Amino acid sequence: MSEQFYTKQLPNGLTLLGQRMEQVSSASMALLVPAGSAYDPPGTEGAAAVAAEWCVRGAGPYDTRQLNDALDALGCQHDENAQSEHISFSTAQLGRNLEKVLEILSEVIRHPHLDERGFLPARGLILQDLASLEDEPARKCNVLLRERFYPMPLGRCVYGKVESLASMQCDDVRRCVRRTFTPSQSILAVAGNIDWNAFCDAAERAFASWPSQTVEAPQPQPAEGGVLHVAKDSAQVHIALACPSVTLSDPRYYAARMAVTVLSGGGGSRLFTEVREKRGLVYHVSTRYHSLKDHAGLFTYAASVPAKARETLQVTVGELRRLSEGIEDSEMARARTQLKSALIMQGESTSARASSLASDWYHLGRLRSLKELSDAIDAVTVDDILAYLRDCPPRDFTFLFIGPEAPDVSGL
Amino acid sequence: MEFKQTTLDNGLTVIGEVNPAAASMAAGFFVRTGSRDETPEEAGVSHFLEHMMFKGTARRSAFDVNRDFDEMGASYNAFTSEENTVYYAAVLPEYQDGVVDLLGDMLRPALRQEDFDVEKNVILDEIARYEDTPSYRVYEKAMAQFFAGHPLANSVLGTSESISALRREQMLDYFNRRYSPTNVTVVGVGHFDFDQFVAKVARMCSHWQPYDAPRDVRPAPGRRARNVVTDPKVLREHIVLMSPAPPGQDRARYAAQLVGAVVGDSTGSRLFYALIDPAIADEAHMSYDLLDGSGAFITFLSTDAERSSEAIEIAQAEMKKFQDDGPTEAELQAAKNKIASGSTLKGELPMGRLTAVGFDWVYRKEYVPLGEQIDTLFAVSGEDVWNVARQYDLTASAMLALGPVEKL
Repeated sequence: MSEQFYTKQLPNGLTLLGQRMEQVSSASMALLVPAGSAYDPPGTEGAAAVAAEWCVRGAGPYDTRQLNDALDALGCQHDENAQSEHISFSTAQLGRNLEKVLEILSEVIRHPHLDERGFLPARGLILQDLASLEDEPARKCNVLLRERFYPMPLGRCVYGKVESLASMQCDDVRRCVRRTFTPSQSILAVAGNIDWNAFCDAAERAFASWPSQTVEAPQPQPAEGGVLHVAKDSAQVHIALACPSVTLSDPRYYAARMAVTVLSGGGGSRLFTEVREKRGLVYHVSTRYHSLKDHAGLFTYAASVPAKARETLQVTVGELRRLSEGIEDSEMARARTQLKSALIMQGESTSARASSLASDWYHLGRLRSLKELSDAIDAVTVDDILAYLRDCPPRDFTFLFIGPEAPDVSGL
Repeated sequence: MEFKQTTLDNGLTVIGEVNPAAASMAAGFFVRTGSRDETPEEAGVSHFLEHMMFKGTARRSAFDVNRDFDEMGASYNAFTSEENTVYYAAVLPEYQDGVVDLLGDMLRPALRQEDFDVEKNVILDEIARYEDTPSYRVYEKAMAQFFAGHPLANSVLGTSESISALRREQMLDYFNRRYSPTNVTVVGVGHFDFDQFVAKVARMCSHWQPYDAPRDVRPAPGRRARNVVTDPKVLREHIVLMSPAPPGQDRARYAAQLVGAVVGDSTGSRLFYALIDPAIADEAHMSYDLLDGSGAFITFLSTDAERSSEAIEIAQAEMKKFQDDGPTEAELQAAKNKIASGSTLKGELPMGRLTAVGFDWVYRKEYVPLGEQIDTLFAVSGEDVWNVARQYDLTASAMLALGPVEKL
């Protein structure tokens, strides 16, 4: 079954993407605005995260409460959060409420009040998010790893720093919003039970007069890399490491995804088998692929009790390296089936589809069909993966440890 | 959408919600057992046994089990709670036989000693992981406090001591007490052939010998205790409030769900406006936890240490206000709309539908189509919702706090 995709660009540059899905009654939206934390000016780290909170505290004709109540009354599940390159606004609702939600969403984007009353609580919540990381060492470990692995400021912790948040003023955030909330680099995707023409009409009404401007991309500095141990009196040692990979737009992307699936795709994958099933070293071990526009990496995370941290790290890195020694046909067949099944199953979810459309457009400037993805996965050979591993060998890791002690990384 | 049901001669029930329009199917084995069915000496065995089911059978090694799931491209896992242990997988329709073959085989595990010894380390690591997760610790402690003296107080994970001391023979004994076919429901949802599904389940499970697997379902007391667990290693204050709620079998569960949504949904609720909006807490939500013969309203708060007592007072004041005045019509409508669209979104995925259909059967031996459930929800009046709050006394909450604070 081929998908029903639609694309349209408004004169001010806003890209509209759509997929009509039969058999569902919901419709989900994903709106990406080029206002991510990487655009936070030095000294105001965390501004994008505060902006995402602040925007929904009154907009257009609605005060905070009216805005929330209006979305609630439409049965809309919504989420606003800052990522590295974008602020992402996502909503899920019944298809028949889509255009009403879009109207409210456009007020949030175009006419947020950003009044003083809302600022302190918005900033206060981000300060609390930052503090909450201390009680979630697994998450903190991965946040800090990303910060050191990607070129600054691309991987920066979206919540900023205690000092930057403490000194942040209303006008700092307002300036960020004025500078970065622009249609020309924004993407609005919708998937589900939609009438594309009606959606486009509603989007034009809401966004056609949104003035365009260009946001300058941040100039990344070299990544910090290296080894960092954050001492903490925790029950586990949290182990995270990353090495460079190819971006989503690279021809070797599918080889990278297959490599990760062989390594960590399911219960029969190498990491799970060797680290958990055979040796009982950990409850959790996994490797994930992650891509920004121009940088990508393989991120591995494991946690073990302190006495087993060194062995966990050694076996894990050993498996990353052993991929280069070859992959069996049966492993390839499993990885293909897993990736393709996952695609079909994600294809049933309107919110997963909306965010995939937006992501495809951001990374590739076009939409990939299920068939294209499936064919590309089928086409990957063992030699393709080995060639990828020669280009992006799993070495020169950035390491991050949280726990009472750090395992020795010499020789890794 | 078509509902089907049958029971094998040995008492194993098979149900299905067939949806030919779906792209995938999901299958689950729902076992009516969990930590509430354990003796103190075997604390944590339900969850440990759930892990052991993935370690192989008479004809499959542990690796075979994992590999067979991966070969089907399955999205699969299992979970254990106080009263349910569920094994599930979502696959493309062509694998419906394969997934039943595998899950059915797994549920008669080999329980090999060497696998038991290795997996014990994994469980101990999982316990260590939760020790580093205050939001889980506070939940476990709050359950233990609220249900003290009742089996619902039992910890799902057990402790490192109870797991270290656990022997394979004890696990086998537990298995032989709880995994009777009469205590298992096999559920299929999505795009699949029900008759073929039943035939495959029968081939895999007909030889399972039935026996009684009783459960102590006396009502839980719901104690109004108030305790502070001080742990200077935790940065923020994690707080749970609990009060009694209708049991999972009661029709008042719809009204109870609405109480949870009006008072404590993550957006637009009373707690949201009183605590999140002014940034007194970064987490404040209440929900209705439906249990077998019992129920509870559970509220989670996370705050800076210095604002924790203020946050608790505000949350309790909101509950009292709700109990005194009931919901407004606008709040009630919004809550209904949110629950309805949430269930609709979840119901569009076979995996989302699996637990809904499965638990309706496990708790009430009934199948209710999603549309009918939404109609029932919309028929609940403000008076019904208010009555649940008054009848179960929302203000009679127990409190447990975990974090740096010494006294609250």
